[in-house]
Amino acid sequence: MNASASAPSDNPLAIAGLPRRRLLFASLCAGFATVAAIGLLGVSGWFLTGAALAGSAGAITVAAFNYLIPSALIRLMAIVRTLARYGERLLSHKVALESMADLRGSLFDKLAAQDSRKAADSSPGEAASRLIDDVAALEDLVIREPARHAALVSAAVGLVAASLAGLPALLFLLAALGLLPLLFGRISAALTRAPAQQAAEALGDLRSRYIDLAASRAEITAYGLAERAFGELEPLARKLDRARSALFRAEALQGGLMTVYGALAMAGLLLLAAAPAPIVALAMLATAAAVEAMGGFARSLLRRASLHAGLDRIAAIIALDPMLSPQESAPPAVLGIGHHDFPARSRIALTGPSGSGKTRVLLALAGMRASTVPLTVAGTPVDQCTARRLSAQFVLAPQDAPLLIGTVADNLRLARPGVSEVEMWAALEVVQLKDRIARSEHGLATPIGEAGGILSGGERKRLSLARALLANRPWLLLDEPTEGLDGQTEAALVTALSTWLAQSDTGLVLVSHRPAPLVLCDSRIDVRALS
Amino acid sequence: MIYVKLTVPWLLDIAGAAVLSWGLASGVGHVATQAPLLAPAALILGGACLRAISAFALDRHAVAAAQANSRERRRGLWTSLLGSRLSKPLSIGESTTLALDHTMAIENRDVRFSPVRLNAVIGPLVVAAIVAPASWVAALIMLATLLPFVLGSILAGTAARRASERQLAALAALSGLFVDRLTHLPLIRHFGAEARISRQVRDATHEVANRTVSVLRAAFLSNAVLEFFSALSIALVAVYCGFSLLGLLPFRAPETLTLVPAFFVLAMAPEFYLPMRRLAAAYHEKQLGEAAETALEPLRDALPASPLPANALPPFSGLRVADLTLAFPGISVGPLDFSLSRHDLVALTGPTGSGKTSTLAAIAGQVAPISGQICDLVGAPLVSSQIAWAAQRPLLLTGTLGENLALAAPDAPREEILAVADRVDLGPMLARRGGLDMAIDHGGSGLSGGERRRIGLARAILSGRPLLLCDEPTADLDTASAAAIVALLRDLSRRRCILVATHDPAMTAAARQEIAL
Repeated sequence: MNASASAPSDNPLAIAGLPRRRLLFASLCAGFATVAAIGLLGVSGWFLTGAALAGSAGAITVAAFNYLIPSALIRLMAIVRTLARYGERLLSHKVALESMADLRGSLFDKLAAQDSRKAADSSPGEAASRLIDDVAALEDLVIREPARHAALVSAAVGLVAASLAGLPALLFLLAALGLLPLLFGRISAALTRAPAQQAAEALGDLRSRYIDLAASRAEITAYGLAERAFGELEPLARKLDRARSALFRAEALQGGLMTVYGALAMAGLLLLAAAPAPIVALAMLATAAAVEAMGGFARSLLRRASLHAGLDRIAAIIALDPMLSPQESAPPAVLGIGHHDFPARSRIALTGPSGSGKTRVLLALAGMRASTVPLTVAGTPVDQCTARRLSAQFVLAPQDAPLLIGTVADNLRLARPGVSEVEMWAALEVVQLKDRIARSEHGLATPIGEAGGILSGGERKRLSLARALLANRPWLLLDEPTEGLDGQTEAALVTALSTWLAQSDTGLVLVSHRPAPLVLCDSRIDVRALS
Repeated sequence: MIYVKLTVPWLLDIAGAAVLSWGLASGVGHVATQAPLLAPAALILGGACLRAISAFALDRHAVAAAQANSRERRRGLWTSLLGSRLSKPLSIGESTTLALDHTMAIENRDVRFSPVRLNAVIGPLVVAAIVAPASWVAALIMLATLLPFVLGSILAGTAARRASERQLAALAALSGLFVDRLTHLPLIRHFGAEARISRQVRDATHEVANRTVSVLRAAFLSNAVLEFFSALSIALVAVYCGFSLLGLLPFRAPETLTLVPAFFVLAMAPEFYLPMRRLAAAYHEKQLGEAAETALEPLRDALPASPLPANALPPFSGLRVADLTLAFPGISVGPLDFSLSRHDLVALTGPTGSGKTSTLAAIAGQVAPISGQICDLVGAPLVSSQIAWAAQRPLLLTGTLGENLALAAPDAPREEILAVADRVDLGPMLARRGGLDMAIDHGGSGLSGGERRRIGLARAILSGRPLLLCDEPTADLDTASAAAIVALLRDLSRRRCILVATHDPAMTAAARQEIAL
């Protein structure tokens, strides 16, 4: 029940790295808003009842009845409620958004500091989007935190009002408010646990079946099988419908029970109160508000519990090893492949049929995958080299030419800090892209990526190559650099690369099934002979 | 229809509120006159029970209606997402989001927002009508605050809505950036760019956070307008009733009030603005639901592929692709010009993301090209029943292996299916696992990648269609299985026209011609 007493992984503020005091003003506003809301109704009821009694008692009583303070108080409460609610919303969102921006940054740092060879994730995209959802859920919890505090304030105000109506009324309300989270938790668990689990399972089944079918879209369309595919999905969707409908029903039932519980509390208070009518009016109206607020508190406890898994995932990333290490630079090293040692500036072609592991050698040298064949850098096996030490020696232009969403310049700038535009254009010239980019409307700011990229596959590939050239590392690793190029462009690219390699004193490890780039190399190694 | 069904529970809810309020009022009245309190207590409970019942009934109707809508939507949406010509290729992730997440967002909107909207229209008026017999002046006060409230929320609300729609888009873009950078972490690490990219991610998230806060300022202002008028109407009713009861109104009393009706009016006052507050609470669902509807809008025009009867077709003479240009986000292909004769084998090559699969899809009529012509050698347009497709990961539906092989030719006799299965070397597997009656589940029943690939080819052969499009037939196969598939395709090309999208040099070498993207 008490958030500060529970383990840190249960406390969303601790996971977000958010000191409690940053939410102080938001919580204060929430408290004021709650007191004003209860006060508005309670004081109104008290004032109205008192006025009625005074009015019926005659002119003298009316003259003695102080109406100025309560009526002013009512107007004040109306204004305070509005302003405080506005303040609470704005401040809690501001704090939550800012702290989540920090958290996203530090989660990124933690993940970035891992070694690609060990942190291999089967589906990084899915993990990433889950991380987005987890952080969004945490943000929501932070936003609701002040309301949780306010719920407790509201309960306290309700108890103060009840205490005016006598000890039995106070004890009754105390019991009612104390029991509420407990009862609510029990009932809600009984009502929602099974359907929530069924809904999650049904959605999971439906999603994975849909993904299967979406992967077969071409066949389904070609053979007109859409109705059959729909027939496979519909029973799963019906199952999900049933579970969701049970969940919605449980939610309605809980809401209904909460209304009845509030009414029970008011009725009990009415029967137990030992006080004049205006006080009873005040106490009953305050009770209604307090029960409602405690209901919200109980719901927030459940909400937290349901987000447990997501919070754990965030906490697990935060617990990873800290700190990014700085980039190293090193003199060109001797590269050992199998039994052969190659001095710096060698140009080596890896040969072998497809599937024999040529790409894997390049990835191992680039520090992206563990090696399958014996490879050494300055005599040290690559698997014992830190990723930093490898990336000080090698730069890879991968076969699938991954590009970041952004612009051409963003992608080239990735190569190293402080790449100038002159250098970018020079690299683009080597890879035969200079004219293409210069002709394009936005030049170096040409967008790349999911929304609005205009480069073709072959062009993306050469852009990835230009990026590798800009990294200025002793060894260049190229995986099928000319795949998909026409003969003329290929020849121009190979000539330009040859000049560039000589001028920059760079070594080369090349994988290519096309013959043209092989002229760049002075030695060949068959990968099959290595393992 | 659904509105009629929902009106009754909403009226029941307000009636419950009235009974509860009357119980409170008479309770206070009875305390003042020292009358017995059981009857008011019973009214309080009874009113709450009415409200609980109404909540339950509302939920049942709303959920039933929303789910009926969803079922309707699913049929059209899923069949067009999975089996019709689209204006641009969808990734599996995009397709799944459209099919599942967006329909769910619309359903949530229908369950949570739509019923409340009805209440927001009728609720305040019914509350005013119930209050009027007790105090028509109080009813008038409530209605009078409604006017400036509506004006205020239109002004504040429109600005807030526009801002928050922009914001949703900005947030989606930020998520996209974050996912993109996390996906490319190995690359970022390799270039030692962690710190620089991290700074970029931080700057972007902070910028969006700051912008969001200023957007929220506007959004919360419209909430504050609602809060203010709801508080104001309670305060005005309380002050009016109090002064009227004291006989101290600064004007001639328009009506005579007593404690119980006055208290009843006060207890009902919050109910007047409650529907609007419920509406505001469900606003997020409304926004997400509407965003989802907008995203699904373009799919309405998608036409289900309708195969022509085979006997109406001219004989297939070959494939000609002229000046074909594709342009989709992230993909740009062409212009492409090539032709295949009636019995041919041609390879379409290019790196990942260069649009090989999209080109095949355009030839199959599954996505719309920007320009260009796809026809047979005499210039007649292709129809879908001439085109077979062998996928990288062929479709498996729940049923027997035989049914799965004959998906494109359900009437094929058993002997023919067996003959084709033999032809693609599925014979040993059939013998091992119980023949054509072997049960297939959607998990693939432990079939290997090579076996699945062969099932897809067998299906394509059984379909009897003259043009075969193969998407990466040898990818991820071990060398021996890949070589067997290449040999099979080469053999098949003596009787069919085959276009293969491939990465594999061995596959390309077997083709008569290579078309590089």
